Amino acid sequence: MTPAAPPALQIDGLAKAYGGTPVFAAVSLALAAGEFVAMLGESGVGKSTLLNCIAGLDEADSGRILVAGHAVRELAEPGRARLRRESLGFVFQAFHLLPQLSVAENVELPLRLLGRPDAARVQALLAAVGLAGLGTRSPAQLSGGQLQRVALARALVHRPALILADEPTGNLDPGTAQRMLDLLVDQVRSEGAACLLVTHSAAAAARADRVLRLMPDGVVAAG
Amino acid sequence: MRSTPTPRAVAPWRQLVPLTLAEWRHHPGRHAVALLAVALGVALASSVQMINASALSEFSQAVRAANGEPDAVLAAVGREGFDDALYARLATDEAVALVSPVLEVDAAARTGAGQRPVTMRLAGVDALKIAAIAPALLPRPAQAGAPRGPGDGASPGADQGAAAGALAPLFDPGALYLNPAAMQALQVSAGQRIELASPGGWTAFTVAGRVSAGGTPLAVLDIAAAQSRFGRAGRLTRLDLRLAAGVDREAWQRSVESAAPLPAGVRWAAADDAVQRVSNLSRAYRVNLGVLALVALLVGGFLVYSVVSLSVAQRLPQFALLGVLGLSARDRRTLVLAESAVIGAAGSALGLAAGAALAALALRLLGGDLGGGYFPGVAGVGPALAWPAPALAACFGLGTAAAVVGAWWPARQAERLAPALVLKGLGGDTEAPARWWPGLALLLLGGLMALLPPVAGLPLAAYGAVAMLLAGGVALVPALVQLLLAARSTPADAVLLLALRRARHARATASATVSGVVASLALSVAITVMVASFRDAVAQWLDSVLPADLYLRGSAGAVLPPSLAASAAALPGVARVTASRQLPLLVSPRQPAVALLARPLGDEPARSLPLLGPALPAQPGELSVWVSEPAAAIHGWQPGQRIALPLPGPDGTVAVPARVRGIWRDYARQFGAVVIDAADYRRLSGDTGVNELAVWLAPGAAAAPVARALHDLAGADLPVDTVSTPELRQLSLAIFDRSFAVTLYLQAVAIGVGLVGVAASLSAQVLARRKEFGLLAHLGLTRRQVMRLVASETAAWLLAGVLVGLLLGLAMAVVLVKVVNPQSFHWSMPMALPAARLAALAAAVLAAGIATALFSARRAAGRPAVMAVKEDW
Repeated sequence: MTPAAPPALQIDGLAKAYGGTPVFAAVSLALAAGEFVAMLGESGVGKSTLLNCIAGLDEADSGRILVAGHAVRELAEPGRARLRRESLGFVFQAFHLLPQLSVAENVELPLRLLGRPDAARVQALLAAVGLAGLGTRSPAQLSGGQLQRVALARALVHRPALILADEPTGNLDPGTAQRMLDLLVDQVRSEGAACLLVTHSAAAAARADRVLRLMPDGVVAAG
Repeated sequence: MRSTPTPRAVAPWRQLVPLTLAEWRHHPGRHAVALLAVALGVALASSVQMINASALSEFSQAVRAANGEPDAVLAAVGREGFDDALYARLATDEAVALVSPVLEVDAAARTGAGQRPVTMRLAGVDALKIAAIAPALLPRPAQAGAPRGPGDGASPGADQGAAAGALAPLFDPGALYLNPAAMQALQVSAGQRIELASPGGWTAFTVAGRVSAGGTPLAVLDIAAAQSRFGRAGRLTRLDLRLAAGVDREAWQRSVESAAPLPAGVRWAAADDAVQRVSNLSRAYRVNLGVLALVALLVGGFLVYSVVSLSVAQRLPQFALLGVLGLSARDRRTLVLAESAVIGAAGSALGLAAGAALAALALRLLGGDLGGGYFPGVAGVGPALAWPAPALAACFGLGTAAAVVGAWWPARQAERLAPALVLKGLGGDTEAPARWWPGLALLLLGGLMALLPPVAGLPLAAYGAVAMLLAGGVALVPALVQLLLAARSTPADAVLLLALRRARHARATASATVSGVVASLALSVAITVMVASFRDAVAQWLDSVLPADLYLRGSAGAVLPPSLAASAAALPGVARVTASRQLPLLVSPRQPAVALLARPLGDEPARSLPLLGPALPAQPGELSVWVSEPAAAIHGWQPGQRIALPLPGPDGTVAVPARVRGIWRDYARQFGAVVIDAADYRRLSGDTGVNELAVWLAPGAAAAPVARALHDLAGADLPVDTVSTPELRQLSLAIFDRSFAVTLYLQAVAIGVGLVGVAASLSAQVLARRKEFGLLAHLGLTRRQVMRLVASETAAWLLAGVLVGLLLGLAMAVVLVKVVNPQSFHWSMPMALPAARLAALAAAVLAAGIATALFSARRAAGRPAVMAVKEDW
């Protein structure tokens, strides 16, 4: 009998304050492997801080975070870096591709950081996001929609357990945004990753398995 | 219909000032470094100017005080002077109001037997005449106070008997009046007895008082006593003339010469000849020191380039926004240049203040010549600080200009930016191919300038060549980075891949980052090679010019008796002795005297001199001379040329025709030397005196006992020094090393400034790239990996910079050794390449640069980088 896979993300009673000002308190949520969850919330309610805490890039005051079974808060800096390399993928609003690398090199970077470059995997993912044949190009030669597809391929290439995506369509026109969202949902599902999508868009949230809302008082509630 | 002129948009400068102030407030350290770099260069340059102006002013005052202000001067060409019949002839000339005769002699003085002698100038004067022309030479007896000479406006009705009594000490043949330097050198006061070396041996005098003349040690005595006691009866060295009212000097001089030609060995001179000579001969030294300081300013300019480049790179969005709001491209450029001009002006003002403090300190600690030895009597006195306004204004202007020139390229970037693209985040680094031609063109221009002759006796074109080489080398850094990292191979290591890709992609930034290192390393390599070449050449030259085991010299230039050589040769332990004579020859009144060296040259003179080329064969009936490299350059002498040597003879100085058979290398006498066979010299001059004995020891003999025997042989009354060749060699090289020690400090300062440039540049880049570092943190790079990434990128740039710096430094060394030295100091030297030292220097710079990069990279992996990515969340 195969043991059950741990949840991609589990958060229990997480609290964070800056100085004397609470950002959120008693945040609890869980994402099963392969689950696609959207998170809504007003600006300034702490969505960014929550994502940073999940990635081990910011320190919560109390509570527990498990990513693919690893207790993030108990890891030292090198352990957190390793966790990000192995188990997390990121899609940013502003793409954040490295201009000095080619498109394929940008996509392959997470694999190289893990010490297992795989050109075939890169080409396959580029083809999957509709960029077959563009691997040798410089990011400066691509459109905004193409850049975000490269970022998506990069987030998936190392088969992470969890994708953290923040407004991945925020910099795109509505048509391109819709196509990008379709691609994100399809690829995340086909790769078997869980995804926590932070968005202001109700239409984007509607594509998710579940919708959560981060309220100003820091409590996560079903949307 | 008249069209309404469109008013040109005026830059709202007042509104822009807060932006500039905010930038300075935000990065105070970075801009302070640029300001201090300019200040350092200006401080060095201005202090050199102030020290030299102070020394020259002091020397000039001393010379004016001693020479007075005559209307005309007749001076002897040689040391033996001229017949005083000329004095009698001019004294009766109606156009002449007053003639003051002077006999000047150099002599050794001591306070008693066994005491170390001091060389001083003796001036025999007529106390009744001297006051009117050179009151600083008027003897002032210690007891009676200052006498009232004719020039003091003595009343004709004064009691003549009392006056005679007061003046009596001035004509005492045993009375000597010392200036402050002589009093200090001998540690004597009025009433004490001292001895002067005269042809008859040591002669006792009483210090009867003082004279006020400054400068080198000087003793004044009655002219008749000087003539009789120093074997110069009937001889004078100078006549200072005051002409009658209304007499035209030049017309009168022509009439004197037309009435009867001036006797041989006499020339018309100017009162400031000595000042002019010192000014001329110290000019190259002064300019070289100044240029060395300007190189520091050049490094400062590169640092300004680094700082402003990165400031502009960071502020591109701000400039783009201002552009969208209506600030023209030209105004953006002007804004950047104006900011740099303010930094340059502030740095220059600070540099002038620091330069004044540095100059005052150097004058107090080192005297006015900074070890150059060009200002006799000034070095130890501590002259008052002079403020050469034009030179200081030039230093201020150069400091400001260096900052503006350093900011020119980044200012053009601010001017040419495309505001819309920059605001969309697309106006950053470009991967356009680096251009080779600007750098190569500058290098070519530098090479051509190095071939140009000196300008007004100064190697100005060569210095221009050095500047062009530096600029060309820095301009080539991006192209070299591209060449070094041309291979498209992909390293397996992700951090290395990122580093190499980034180093190649942002190669334009490489120039800004490593330009200071390139400049400072090139300067250090050039100085290291030059000093090593010079030291090797001096060591070889010492081996060549010191063939004997032991040397004996008359102290303070004292002349040794001719019989001493034969007596020394007979001493136990001595195999062979040769005697030589050295005396100054004034070949040109506007140039310092050359040294005449009369020594036995044997059958093959070329073997005893470090000749630069093959010796020409002797011509029967012609006097052979061998001139040193500086003498050849200063007087334009060439091998085979026939020249006139003003040799002293029984009847005064006579121009003797001689033929130059070869040029020899000499580093000891920078105003030139002429070697003549001792037998020829004795035959022509009748002078059998000797200054130096070269002693070869017998096999197995020790130097110390022979030296003691030589001292005993000379006797207590003859001041001599003996020194062994190893001692002399060691001492000479120790003096050399001490003289050039300052260059080591200069190198350290230059490299320090260059590394500060790296630190400033990297700190700015780390700030500018914080989103990139934040992304890498998200992708799982550890803090250590991010630091390694920055260090690796910088190492790639530094490697290119160090390569360029090494090559440039070698090219600059060729210019310094082969062009600047011969043009400035008239001596040449073979190039020496201290490979191990250069490799160590390059490795040290590389290591220090990478350490600086690691230090600067600490912030790259910190929380601010993560937060920068968060800005998008």
